[in-house]
Amino acid sequence: MPHTTGSEAAAADRAPSPGGGQVSPGRGHASPDAGRAAPFPADHPALPPGIDRRGFLRTAAGGTAAIALASMIPAGCGADYPQATQDGVELQALSPKEYAVLRAAAEAILDNVPVPPARIARRIDRELALAGDPILTDMKTVLTLLEHMTLLGGRLRRFTALDAEDRVAYLHTWARSRFTLRRAVFQATRAFIYFFAYCDDATRPITGFTGPWRERVEIPAYPVDFGEVV
Amino acid sequence: MIIQGTHRTGDVRDRADVVVVGTGAGGATLAVYLAERGWDVVMLEKGGFFRAEDFTQREEDALADFNGRRGLDTTADNAIFLNYAEAVGGTTVHYWGDSFRTPPDRLQRWREKFGLEWMTEEELAPHFDAIEQELGIHIAEERLLNENNRLVRQGCEALGIEAHIPPTARVDCIGCGWTQFGCAYNRKTSQLITTIPRISKSGGRIYSDARVERILVENGRATGVEGVLVDRATKAPRGRFRVDADLVVLAGGALGTAELLLRNFDDPTVGRRFYINPHFWVFADFGREIDNVSGIPCAYVVHEWRLVRRTPSGEYAGGGYIMLTSHQSPGITATMLPETGAAHRERMRKYRHLGSLMSVIDEDHPGRVYLDGGVRKTEFRLQGIDVLKAVDYLKNASRIFLAAGAKEVWIPDVYGTVVRSEQDIQERITARSVQPNAQFCAGSHLLGTAPLGTDPRDSFAGPTGEAHRVKGLYVADGAAVPTSVSVDPSLTIMGVARWIAAGIHERHGRAGV
Repeated sequence: MPHTTGSEAAAADRAPSPGGGQVSPGRGHASPDAGRAAPFPADHPALPPGIDRRGFLRTAAGGTAAIALASMIPAGCGADYPQATQDGVELQALSPKEYAVLRAAAEAILDNVPVPPARIARRIDRELALAGDPILTDMKTVLTLLEHMTLLGGRLRRFTALDAEDRVAYLHTWARSRFTLRRAVFQATRAFIYFFAYCDDATRPITGFTGPWRERVEIPAYPVDFGEVV
Repeated sequence: MIIQGTHRTGDVRDRADVVVVGTGAGGATLAVYLAERGWDVVMLEKGGFFRAEDFTQREEDALADFNGRRGLDTTADNAIFLNYAEAVGGTTVHYWGDSFRTPPDRLQRWREKFGLEWMTEEELAPHFDAIEQELGIHIAEERLLNENNRLVRQGCEALGIEAHIPPTARVDCIGCGWTQFGCAYNRKTSQLITTIPRISKSGGRIYSDARVERILVENGRATGVEGVLVDRATKAPRGRFRVDADLVVLAGGALGTAELLLRNFDDPTVGRRFYINPHFWVFADFGREIDNVSGIPCAYVVHEWRLVRRTPSGEYAGGGYIMLTSHQSPGITATMLPETGAAHRERMRKYRHLGSLMSVIDEDHPGRVYLDGGVRKTEFRLQGIDVLKAVDYLKNASRIFLAAGAKEVWIPDVYGTVVRSEQDIQERITARSVQPNAQFCAGSHLLGTAPLGTDPRDSFAGPTGEAHRVKGLYVADGAAVPTSVSVDPSLTIMGVARWIAAGIHERHGRAGV
């Protein structure tokens, strides 16, 4: 069973704000030139549950600390994280540890999706190598936080050491966390995994997608004369 | 001539009357105007040169090949995907072709707030006329509305909501539905297949894979640019280039132009305002297969709420956005839909049952572009009245789909919000859905980072497009547009760029300065 912190679970489960989307007199519509307003002003009736102005400040501070923490955590070695070697992957951007976390997340997220998690992790590694910074550095931080912040969710084991069900539950708490940073980690991880999984033709039986026209119908392009091309 | 930097080795030096950095809506529109009036033009494009045969219609190829940062760029907090192109033809290679003239209320705001007295409907009309004719812009044909478009129209008609088929830039469109991954049939009239060939045949040289690093300035006047030719796949340097010119025009888009300026000048007006028109999606499950793959992705636009409505006492009472019908490919849809594991897979099973709408929030509060340790970063947070606009959009989009007969409407947030009735809309759709990273959000109308205006403290360039502080340096792209346009800004960017080009030609003549 998942172990979640009380405050996070409570924030996630709380009913929607009854005042959501309503309006207070004369609020908003400040000119951009009048300076940047604080996000979600403290007395704003449309405030998301569990988030107030101080909450955002805490979030920002917590985010900075978490990223600093992530930078101090050892990268781990191949012996600790043998997954890349086991998968026969020659890593181009990620460390063996980062690859292992990514593959573990893919295993959890891609429930019965007919694309091997190792194929997704390898594809993302290649993509990150080509994308470079700042995407690569951000993703490395994301994976490090995912692996080691399990303690915040009341778990004593690292992410890669959790069983599949517990990984899903852990990710779920991050998804609905009231902390922006944790939601960001969740969204970044799932976005990469789902994008490359469902670009894969193997998922077409799920979606019913029949593929781009170019793969099915031959239609000539109108001619364009670009002049000399060298 | 088109010179692909990725195929070059060694250094290159060129000279022109005008060098234009960027080949998209702004740059190519300006360049063709000058090139066909006798100017010697060099264009520099950071991205690659792709033709119809290169467009595979596969989303992973398109994002990697010609989207900025391989389609993976986000704001610094990861909350918003930034969608922009880096390729010859710029963002018009992947845009949907919606072509709206600038709304009169927006021109009025720019006149009053930024002193841009020339920005009137009458002044811009001949430029819009010319562009519309050259690109074959017309109201999209009925046959190009797929079922999602028709259902949204049905919902709007049932509710008495103002909505239209948009003007679109395409000729003989076959309705394959893959506009956003580059037109594989040369039917979308992007800059790539319209102005770029004309510039090339007028003697212009268009360098692809050419990343400008430095703006050359002598005695307060821009004299050219220099930078690096790169390998298209790896971005590894292949050689350097330098182009000397009488005039330098920046048209690399709101991000590209801002980054180049930030690297070259210490000017507090650069990057201070960054408009993106946040896009949030709403999905509708119709419980049966509907066609939301073919046709024009956006062939129906809901204008009802474009302007903010207020109560007599000034309170926000709705609006401040338009809605676009939208279809998405499987990979992108998978990143948008909520849940994980089996629940997500079940949602993806309904891929062919889904209609969708996306917002274009006309934001009051822009973000910013800045350099952090030499890396370009962006910041944008939905705040204040813009939160209310986003929530109002989610509610009204849900109403349209329910009126069109949807079984249920999905707000694709981390809470898995589903609505089936007006009561659900009132109770379940709140601001928590639009918190940062609570759902997929994107920005693709990137504007305002080096804006025009009369006040040098608040604008980078004057009303003519020439920089306040550097003679001979112009801005003519989305960066120059002072604020959000409230509709797709492509035609606005083209119109403004053409007006700037006409002014350059009138003031400087063919011989340059």
